[in-house]
Amino acid sequence: MISTRSEPATFNGLRKRDTSTELLGFLSGAKLVRINRATQELEPSLAESWARSPDGLTYTIKLRSGITFSDGHPFTADDVVFTFAALYDPKAGCELADAVRLDGKNLRVSAPDPLTVVVTFPVPFAPGVRILDNVPILPKHKLQAALQAGTFDSAWNLKTPVADIVGLGPFVPTEYVPGQRLIFSRNPRYFRKAPDGGPLPYLDRVTMEVVPDQDAQMLQLDAGQIDAVDSNMRPEDYAPLKRSADAGRVKLLDLGVSYDADSLWFNLKPGAYAHDSRAAWLQRDELRHAISLAVDRKAFADTVFLGAGAAAYGPETTANKRWFSADVPQTPYDPTRAKALLASIGLVDRDGDGTLDDPQHHPVRFTLLTQKGKTQLERGASVIREDLKRVGVVVDVVPLDFKSLVERFLSGANYDAIYFSVARTDTDPAINPDFWFSSGSAHFWNIGQKTPATPWEKEIDDLMSKQIASTDEARRKALFDEVLKVFAAHEPVVYFAAPRVFVATSSRVLNATPALLRPQLLWSADTLALAPKR
Amino acid sequence: MTFYLARRLLFALFLVFAVSSSAMILARLAPGDYVTEALGPGARAEAVAEARARYGLDRPVLAQYADWLSHAIRFDFGRSMANDRPVGELIPERAANTALLAGAALLFATVVGLPLGVVSGSRPSGALSAAIRTFSVVFLSLPPLLTSLFLVFLAARTGWLPIGGMRSADAASGPALDLLRHLIVPAAALGLPLAAMFERLQSQALAETIGQPFVLATIARGVPRSRVIWRDALRAALRPVASVYGLVVGTLLSGSFAVEIMTSWPGLGRLMLDALVARDVYLVAGCAAAGSVFLAAGTLISDALLAAVDPRAIEA
Amino acid sequence: MRLVGWALVAAACIGGLLAPVVAPHAVDDRRPGLLNAPPTRPHLVDSDGSLHAPFIYSWTLVDQLEQRYVENRGTRIPLVWMSEGRLVRSSNESSAPLLLLGADSYGRDVFSRLLFGARTSLALSIVAALGTVLLGAAVGGIAGYLGGAFDDLLMRASDFVLVLPAMYVALGLRSVLPIVLSAQVVFALLASIFAIVGAPFVARGVRAIVRSELQLDYAVAAQSLGASHLRMLGRHLLPAAAGFVGVQVTMLVPGFIVAEATLSYVGLGFPEPVASWGTMLHDASNVRAFADFPWLLSPAAAIFLVVLGVNLLLQSNPEAARRRSIQSMG
Repeated sequence: MISTRSEPATFNGLRKRDTSTELLGFLSGAKLVRINRATQELEPSLAESWARSPDGLTYTIKLRSGITFSDGHPFTADDVVFTFAALYDPKAGCELADAVRLDGKNLRVSAPDPLTVVVTFPVPFAPGVRILDNVPILPKHKLQAALQAGTFDSAWNLKTPVADIVGLGPFVPTEYVPGQRLIFSRNPRYFRKAPDGGPLPYLDRVTMEVVPDQDAQMLQLDAGQIDAVDSNMRPEDYAPLKRSADAGRVKLLDLGVSYDADSLWFNLKPGAYAHDSRAAWLQRDELRHAISLAVDRKAFADTVFLGAGAAAYGPETTANKRWFSADVPQTPYDPTRAKALLASIGLVDRDGDGTLDDPQHHPVRFTLLTQKGKTQLERGASVIREDLKRVGVVVDVVPLDFKSLVERFLSGANYDAIYFSVARTDTDPAINPDFWFSSGSAHFWNIGQKTPATPWEKEIDDLMSKQIASTDEARRKALFDEVLKVFAAHEPVVYFAAPRVFVATSSRVLNATPALLRPQLLWSADTLALAPKR
Repeated sequence: MTFYLARRLLFALFLVFAVSSSAMILARLAPGDYVTEALGPGARAEAVAEARARYGLDRPVLAQYADWLSHAIRFDFGRSMANDRPVGELIPERAANTALLAGAALLFATVVGLPLGVVSGSRPSGALSAAIRTFSVVFLSLPPLLTSLFLVFLAARTGWLPIGGMRSADAASGPALDLLRHLIVPAAALGLPLAAMFERLQSQALAETIGQPFVLATIARGVPRSRVIWRDALRAALRPVASVYGLVVGTLLSGSFAVEIMTSWPGLGRLMLDALVARDVYLVAGCAAAGSVFLAAGTLISDALLAAVDPRAIEA
Repeated sequence: MRLVGWALVAAACIGGLLAPVVAPHAVDDRRPGLLNAPPTRPHLVDSDGSLHAPFIYSWTLVDQLEQRYVENRGTRIPLVWMSEGRLVRSSNESSAPLLLLGADSYGRDVFSRLLFGARTSLALSIVAALGTVLLGAAVGGIAGYLGGAFDDLLMRASDFVLVLPAMYVALGLRSVLPIVLSAQVVFALLASIFAIVGAPFVARGVRAIVRSELQLDYAVAAQSLGASHLRMLGRHLLPAAAGFVGVQVTMLVPGFIVAEATLSYVGLGFPEPVASWGTMLHDASNVRAFADFPWLLSPAAAIFLVVLGVNLLLQSNPEAARRRSIQSMG
């Protein structure tokens, strides 16, 4: 029994990307490969093995034989081809499509024989088939009619009778009560077997209970009414859950530091402050370095995460074992140096009122937007404001609701600085090109540039292109270390602290392999088990 | 009489239309739309623009509104962008749940609040009346979020009642009893402030009516005091409560979302909030329309009650 | 009883007005080492039973993640009065601050924020309530008095205002306003929104009362005597609704205090570091507050006391009602 904050938007895993629909994809769907979220390694799933062509652009994937869908219909390479056709079909409007494109181009998928799939990448891509962990394979025999009729965009919506939903995953949906729960039962035809050869999944039934409020979720977990929650634990949840753990009602697992720290960035679009007197200093590197020096990261972690956190100095934290680089310089807490740095760009306290002023006697003041309702961000913004006040910089924190906030930075207008959290989906930086490349749509401080606005962004572009194309793992790491160094030298995004991640389950849950990436427990739903109720 | 009803119906339709139109336009004018962030944080501008075009969100507001209107007249309220389903399908599912909750809360509030109000109004300076007043003020001053949180917390700590939801997956007791058990916490959370409001209003109205000469006269005639209170004064004093009854029903919808979220009740209030946050404009319009239907029904009930209680107040 | 009401409301207002003196700390005075610290209770008798001037014990953090503290019974920290412009402080403010109602999740003194919050919340709700009453009574009175199509129109308009969720309007409004709003602008906006949103309740009730009063003998008499419309409304009809309006105000005031927190979700809240009871309560609405940090819920108690006071003030009793009806007959 697991509780989620919202119900899935649809049974069709290609159409929507909300967290509950993704979870559904893990429970009732299967993909060609699986990223083991605990070890970060790639495992075969529906695919048995794959071979890469010498030019690195084509992968020939051999499928396992004898797999059938939950309704008995055999699984063949045609289903894979169909899934990708549906994914990229413009009328179908699948929101997942853009995540499975490189440089805006589709992957080409073909099926020379029923057990072989050939995937051709439009550009060299080092992570290769890792990207296929996103795509649940849908049954052609069930959905082809909808795709041809152009009604794929409402196919398999929640009104569809559950008996029609057919998949390759460990469970099949068997009951849906609108707004309340979705019940899955074991799929007797699931293709994976336990290490000892016995059938999987171990669990007979998984119930996805919809509980919108996180406090209510924690209360239910504590009372033993549910076995796991699909939300990230907050620092304030720790104490009551620790008490329950000590009493034996709950199991508390410490997964170490998270992959991501929250991000503070400024609007670095050239010309964004054209008529504003602050243009002289608002986009300078020195301002951001000064901010990085002025914030006490230890105190930050203490206030925002109640001590359960670690200082973060760059986009990669120590959690990302493969890609984190200890060579990258870590900014110390030094408000004096921060003040000196600000003075070097002309920002000094000229009138003795405690705030710095620019050469025209305007006070140094900027607006920091953040997301309303996300405690972690609001607190962080508050701490930033306090620490910057001490060096004489005035910050106006304005919390906005999610969409209003996102709209502002996506349009690149109307904001000075933003403090926001971006959850990543994978540890390999090549799967996140939109952040690193200046032309990328997630290059937050200056989105979607036609040509790099600064020489250092060009440098990162070049390094990342090489990094993505290279197939030599050691070379890729060296290149990425370089990227991180350039990033740290200019700090377009400032990071302060990353939280320690805890996962809580009821005491009955066995075989849990919790991971830092979502879905923390249910990525391996097929091997989860429950101790019998006493 | 039929002319009166027809006029009311016409006004109600007009209200539904006005409210849902305004809601849709406001949701559209708010910054960000459904597509913002829906495709994931790193979606390309082209993909986003394409998606926007597909949903029709790149058209000017008025064009989109005109299109929606032309469909709405034929009872096609558009599709929910977040759920891939017609709005007309989604709303009745949830509206029934909210109606149930609202009805239960209203019943509770009436059965508890009105009599308590009569008691405290007839003897304003007694200890009982002071106690009743204190209770009412407590529930009036607590925000609904806090009340529901407290009740859920209580349910969790004592284990007497389920912690949220509308029905249990495996109900040991029969379905009706199970529903009732689940209904208690949310209905109490929603109904207690209402009961407090009714009590205060009723108490006030009764206290005033008792001062009226006709009451004095009736008592002087020898009719026992309690009968005078419960029969004659009460009729006159029900006036203010009856008049706000409809409003209460109408606002129960928008007021219920805090309770629904806290107690995981699958209702319309929650749907409405989710739709607003996601900028799912057609669903927003649909929910607002549902809300105005609630209100129209409520005001009709209220005016009927008012007529029953005080025949002088209806139109000639 | 009325006296008690006056006393309560006066205490709240005075507390708010004198906040800069009575409150031991500023609104945003943060102690990073004392997050969610329990209240420091003043003692007169120490552990070996001897009498002293009022003093407190300090808190030491035992577990940061669990936010557990233990009292330092070894050292007495006496209180000082009338120092640094404040009524009372601890003698060792830097490491053992006086936290009469504990600290919140940022380490800020709840008692001080409660006092400063009184200014914001009370002022806002009083102004908004006034606005609601004026607007609602006017609309309801006119509707009830004129009747007919005018009545219909006004009531439908108020229905519309009622049923359109304020959140939507607020969201749309927020997007056309400048990004940084000063506290005064927010105050004016919120007061106006509340006045408009609350008016329909008052209007409906007033209308019903006015309509039925119109049929009463004294009203008919006054009209036949040639009383002007204004006189009819002002002198005879509206005062009959006074009791109802009074009760409505009792119910609106806490609603407004709380609604400020709800509207801050769409960005229409007071900017930091302004304290308000609504936001304080909202931040305290989690399970930990009930289980471990009950002092965070003190704004609820404050709101309760204020509302009780208002209710006691505004209620009428049978005596007054009788006097009024006899008066209007004569």
